[in-house]
Amino acid sequence: MPLFYIHHTNCISPQQTFPDADLSVLHQPVNYKLQVIEPKYDGIPPGILRRMSKAVRIGAGAALPLLNKLPATDGIIIGTANAGMEDCFHFLKQIVDYEEGQLTPGNFVQSTPNAIAAQLSMISHNNGYNITHVHLGLAFENAAIDAGMMIKEQPEHNYLLGAVDDIATYNYTLNSLAGWFKKEAFTTDNLYELNTPGSLAGEAATMFLVNGNPFNAIAQLRALHTIHSTDEIIIGEQLKTFLEKHLPEGEKIDLLISGENGDSRLLKYYTTCENGLLENVMIVRFKHLCGEYPTAAAMALWLSCYILQENQIPQHLIKQQSADKAFKNILIYNNYKGAQHSFMLVSGMG
Amino acid sequence: MGVISAIGNTVAENRLALSEARCGISALTLFATKYADSRPCGEIKLSTDDLSLQLNANEPGITRTSLLALHAFEEAIRDGQLSPAQLTDADTALIGGTTVGGMCLTDELYQDAQQIESGSEYINSYDCSSVTMYLQQRYKMNGIINTINTACSSAANAIMYGARLIKAGLAKRAIVGGVDSLAKFTINGFNALHILSPEICTPFDEGRKGLNLGEGAAFIILEKEEVVGNKKLYAEITGYYNSNDAYHPSSLSDAGDGPFLAMNGALQTARLSPGSIGFINAHGTGTENNDLVESRAMLKLFNQPPPFASTKSNVGHTLGAAGAIEAVYSILNLHHQEIYPGLNCKTPISETNLKPVDRYKKISLQHVMSNSFGFGGNCTSLIFSKC
Repeated sequence: MPLFYIHHTNCISPQQTFPDADLSVLHQPVNYKLQVIEPKYDGIPPGILRRMSKAVRIGAGAALPLLNKLPATDGIIIGTANAGMEDCFHFLKQIVDYEEGQLTPGNFVQSTPNAIAAQLSMISHNNGYNITHVHLGLAFENAAIDAGMMIKEQPEHNYLLGAVDDIATYNYTLNSLAGWFKKEAFTTDNLYELNTPGSLAGEAATMFLVNGNPFNAIAQLRALHTIHSTDEIIIGEQLKTFLEKHLPEGEKIDLLISGENGDSRLLKYYTTCENGLLENVMIVRFKHLCGEYPTAAAMALWLSCYILQENQIPQHLIKQQSADKAFKNILIYNNYKGAQHSFMLVSGMG
Repeated sequence: MGVISAIGNTVAENRLALSEARCGISALTLFATKYADSRPCGEIKLSTDDLSLQLNANEPGITRTSLLALHAFEEAIRDGQLSPAQLTDADTALIGGTTVGGMCLTDELYQDAQQIESGSEYINSYDCSSVTMYLQQRYKMNGIINTINTACSSAANAIMYGARLIKAGLAKRAIVGGVDSLAKFTINGFNALHILSPEICTPFDEGRKGLNLGEGAAFIILEKEEVVGNKKLYAEITGYYNSNDAYHPSSLSDAGDGPFLAMNGALQTARLSPGSIGFINAHGTGTENNDLVESRAMLKLFNQPPPFASTKSNVGHTLGAAGAIEAVYSILNLHHQEIYPGLNCKTPISETNLKPVDRYKKISLQHVMSNSFGFGGNCTSLIFSKC
């Protein structure tokens, strides 16, 4: 049994992905940041919208249309590392600027990462399971494990599973200082070729409606494995075990979606993973679409649904072409800062 | 299990202080804030340097939050006699709840967030996951590692997640808990919301003036029955439920929908009737809103609620750690068949007329419920049972 079946998806990203997706035109970063294209947010009352931080706004913008598809969703499961950062910094600034004087609490209340799941429950009057996973580069994967456990217990239940991270001044500065973004000039055309440290800052909100019902589903998440390690040999070994355990006999990985992000220090992990698959496997990269951010694996899961639905792949995504025309089994490998890794095995419904 | 709080650095010290009705809330001494004297806190009177020295933990970038977590984690693994091999086993999960994370370094964070050239040693330590990742790295853990932030119910959800991992067969053992340290950030935040009491808090009292913040950490080792062997057992986790109040970002609905659904759901998970709960470790923060709403929800569910109390009057509100610290206290209730008094409630809330237990008592207990309700409407109840 898979962790869950995916029935609907929504993604607000730096590319044309919402409400309808068209990846044929590639949007370029501005000031070396890939920031989301914000929609009009028709479903959110203006008074509430005005008070939302960007992370909450894009999260709600992507999630609410999915929550409205069903009379009742049984729970809201969000993974985010950075949500609330923007408000957190505004509140810090208040503390310093007003020397701990009379401060307004709005930023403080919105500064916790659970603000997205909380707002969603309030707007949609949802009393169900509500949780926020914040384990940095594996926040989304832990949320997906959570959804999988929920559905194992109650296969007929529907869950909103999502990931949101945005570029706020605060996390952008801290990650820049730590050397996670490229210091030299680049475009998305040469991001993967420069062979220098650092990646491209990005953001997105990605939402999935998942349950235990295969009927009419877009895709299924068959297996998910997370690793904490900086040793690429361990990544290679665990990939082997993962495929042996979860890939049905006689089947192969038809497509690898790689989280390669242009950071020369992290390339060894992606190469190890490519080497663990058949030589002529098709390889797709996606960080030039959304940049690097802690929950980018959710964007890869969204992309796998897109590919399974469209059954064709825009040229700019392809790192290695293959003769295959149909994709049944997709492996997603992503890592964050070389310390947190995940494999996801996604299959179509055919 | 392991715990550190304003009333003691170990499980034994905490139990003794609870039994003796001691309060650890006082003026702040460990860092500078305008509110050091006017907003009492449940502060652990060990400096960050002392903690670091005691624990032999001096990795660059380590924060007070990580040190408090390490303190409780070490006690828990000593108590549970976990070997290094068991800690590194792929079937051993680690789940931590926290809301403050490395933000205890409020001023450093503000400085770093504005730098252009070079940051401090803490640039990778501010976020919530830094605490769990520190423990994972120090003990080279290989199972599922996760960090949860649902504000004041973070640790309760971490415990629930660990129990569910074991139930789903994704772990055989889960080290679960939570941590938060006092910070200028949270003191100013709660103060801006006008819910910090200028006096020692008085949970469930008609004249309550708000909450006192606290700090601390607790970890519990959950094991699947088949790997327990002949180890000492404290209790069984039989019930849990998470529900959102879906009402307001920072206050509970009048009828207490979320608290009611969480408590009721936990009973259903445990397949217990309300009458079987012998004691409730209430959320009981001491705010106008929480204590009234929690009382209403208890009345609605239990009709005649069992004995209850809030340990916030001993240790303050430890936010993301509260659910774990109070889980340890609930387990102590069961293990020693005793209940600890809630402090400072002179006149019960007139509308509900529910009074917390006010003295130490030996009592026969089968099941204890522990409540945690957080900002964003995140409500979670846990039930621990005698095994």
